[in-house]
Amino acid sequence: MLLEVRNLETWYGPIVAMQGVNLKVDEGQIVAVLGANGAGKTTLLNTLAGVIDPFKGQVLFRGEETQRLDPDAICRRGMVLVPEGRQVYPFLSVAENLGMGAYARRDRDNVARDLERVYGWFPRLRERERQHAGLLSGGEQQMLAIGRAFMSAPKLLMLDEPSLGLAPRLTREIFAIVSRIRDETGTAMLVVEQNAAVALEHGDIGYIMELGRVVAHDSCAALSEKADVREAYLGGGSLVGESGTAQRWKRRRTWR
Amino acid sequence: MNMQARQAPQVFLGQDTPARVFRARVAEWGEAPALRRKARGLWQTVSWREYYANARAIGLALADLGLERGDIVCVLAENRPEWLYADIGAQCMGFAGNGIYPTSSAFQVHHILDDSGARVLLVENQEQLDKALAVRERCPRLLHIVVMEREGLRGFADPAVSFFDDFLARGHKLAETRANDFEAAIDAGRPDDLAFLVYTSGTTGAPKGAMISNANLVFQMSCAPEYLDIEPGDKSLSFLPLCHIAERMASVFNPLAVGLVVHFPENSGTVMNDIREVAPHVVFAPPRFWEKMHSAVTLFMRDAIGPARWAYGRALDLGKPQVEARLKGVAPPPLSLPARALRHVALRNIRIFLGLQNVKSALTGAAPVPPDLIRWFLSIGVELREAFGMTETTGFCTATPKGGIRLGWAGRKAGGTEISIGEADEILVRGPNVFVGYWNNPEKTAETITPDGWLRTGDCGAIDGDGYLAIRDRIKDIIVTAGGKNITPSQVENLLKMSPYITDAVVIGEARRFLTALVMIDQEHVARFAREQAIPYTDFASLTRAQAVIELIRGEVEAANLMLARVEQIKDFRILGELLTAEDEELTPTMKLKRKVIAQKYAALIDGMYPV
Repeated sequence: MLLEVRNLETWYGPIVAMQGVNLKVDEGQIVAVLGANGAGKTTLLNTLAGVIDPFKGQVLFRGEETQRLDPDAICRRGMVLVPEGRQVYPFLSVAENLGMGAYARRDRDNVARDLERVYGWFPRLRERERQHAGLLSGGEQQMLAIGRAFMSAPKLLMLDEPSLGLAPRLTREIFAIVSRIRDETGTAMLVVEQNAAVALEHGDIGYIMELGRVVAHDSCAALSEKADVREAYLGGGSLVGESGTAQRWKRRRTWR
Repeated sequence: MNMQARQAPQVFLGQDTPARVFRARVAEWGEAPALRRKARGLWQTVSWREYYANARAIGLALADLGLERGDIVCVLAENRPEWLYADIGAQCMGFAGNGIYPTSSAFQVHHILDDSGARVLLVENQEQLDKALAVRERCPRLLHIVVMEREGLRGFADPAVSFFDDFLARGHKLAETRANDFEAAIDAGRPDDLAFLVYTSGTTGAPKGAMISNANLVFQMSCAPEYLDIEPGDKSLSFLPLCHIAERMASVFNPLAVGLVVHFPENSGTVMNDIREVAPHVVFAPPRFWEKMHSAVTLFMRDAIGPARWAYGRALDLGKPQVEARLKGVAPPPLSLPARALRHVALRNIRIFLGLQNVKSALTGAAPVPPDLIRWFLSIGVELREAFGMTETTGFCTATPKGGIRLGWAGRKAGGTEISIGEADEILVRGPNVFVGYWNNPEKTAETITPDGWLRTGDCGAIDGDGYLAIRDRIKDIIVTAGGKNITPSQVENLLKMSPYITDAVVIGEARRFLTALVMIDQEHVARFAREQAIPYTDFASLTRAQAVIELIRGEVEAANLMLARVEQIKDFRILGELLTAEDEELTPTMKLKRKVIAQKYAALIDGMYPV
């Protein structure tokens, strides 16, 4: 067990953003967390990364509690967040951005090897090595953010909506590379996504969140078969009813 | 046919049909508020005069479609004023109303439309319209559909479908020239005309349409002042399904009888908030609803600050001797002034929290009521009175008089009716409240009403020396164990349901060595328990499988067992692993588990509890 989250609960002031969340990630697994806006997905990742302290619950990363550690300490232990909206350093070059990822590392030889790997996965980053990161396209920035995170030699990469603002083709490309990174390096991935189709296709295990709680949990293959998931996340929702108009009403979901 | 109702003419306010009572009340109350609905966060009031005008418009527009007296008009919607306009408008015109549960599947909708031969169907919105359109081909009698909400239906056009606002406007236009037709139709009504159909939820077999006549309703209206201690202008909240006889009486006919202002909640999810806002004077709800209130307070107090917890606990303790004295019918022991002050401060806030601070008539029925629930409500100052009734008795047929609570007894019969105990302790009812019969089903009618007019309720029970009625169980549900013991399962199930963690339970044991139970857990409360105890779970199924949850339910079952005789005790149980909704065949529209379906569907689970 790489990561085990037990009964995690996070509040923003008087508002509970996430409650009773239980989740597991095994070595080398891709785990997808799906949910609509405001379901608490980003809160989950930010809490895991130490950006927010949870009100309750435990985070066990490789058997040790991390829920009270600072973000940098968590990052050093190998749980690395790729935040929503990329957040690369716009005035540093691509190479410098990648270097920032390896800032805390002392194993120079391995850093050089990992840099080669990143350039191998994302040839376009090598082409733009000297360019300011702010001048990259959205997809390239996402690649850079993932590459930068990988440069810190993570055991678990946490990706917050890698598809945000990207064209469908780029989204597929990014996910293909995420799978490839996992296959080649064994890095586990915890991916938060709104684009459920692509996340379920590449993930092993999926969780669905609603209103700050986990409402369903199964293998991604099994989840994609569930009627409620198909309707809510896989485009089954744009049904046309008997009246010939787009269906506005929602079935009550039981996620079974 | 039930001949009894025809013999005695029933009169209320000098009128012998509900439509004429309605007209008389509108003349009397005119601009006084009749209905309020909450829309976009604001309460909007409809006066009796507007209520009448809208009902007339709908009635005339329906007649304009070519309907004739006796034709059936169905409504498939949540509780809302339009439901009432359609229902009472139809009845004034001599058509008969018929409600369909909004949670019904298209299949169930088809059964009721087809069986009743409905001519017009009024649906709430796109969701309900889709069900209607899916089955209308197979309902040859259905002429027209009216949709109340336009949302999502822009661009939709169908010659046989119109929108409620257009339909109403057409009716108002017709009223300018043909208002007299409406008055004439009201005048033409006869006491033995069919007023509406109520499809019984039917835990076995397909639902049957019970025919309720004008005379039934007039009689029930004349009884309402006996058990409702209400003045005109007092408030009620319409939150149970209007298709059910209890809410139909409470929201349509009791207001005519005693002048309630009926409030419609924003939607079914806002009931607890709306009840707090409205603070109704009369509340009727099944025991389950009152149990929810009780567990809401229990859980709320557990999280409250120490002094509040102390005050609440102390106030309840101080009230205990008082409650027991009241239940015994003796004068309660006097309380010291500080004790009275504490009780006032602590419990008034509880009543306000529940929206019960104004309640004058709190009634429950439709399922056996746990005695501790009544004790608790008495101790917070709410006299929760038990009543008994069914669709076939047009709602209440016995009620506990004010100040006359007896635990386990459902009160006395209404004046002018008879109750007796027949074979196998079956409760029999005769009188003007007994329904006419089942729609197009003379065999079932003959099975249910004896030739001399007694209604066979299918419940077994007893009557005591003071005329109080006790209901034991459905005769069909009585379990005979392998040891030959007769068990009334509902009594056992009700003890289980008293737990905030158990929504419903089915006791199994027919021809078995011992009793077991299938339990449906309350998702909200059990999930909360799991979070507090840091029990890992993700979805509903994993919650039901968690060992700590199984132990929690085991604890609740054992607590119930302490109150049961040895043969009645539950030896084993299983938790249903699926989250069920009213659309599932396992549940009735009122969210009760259907015993037969459960026993069949979960046969393997049940057999697992009986090792060979």
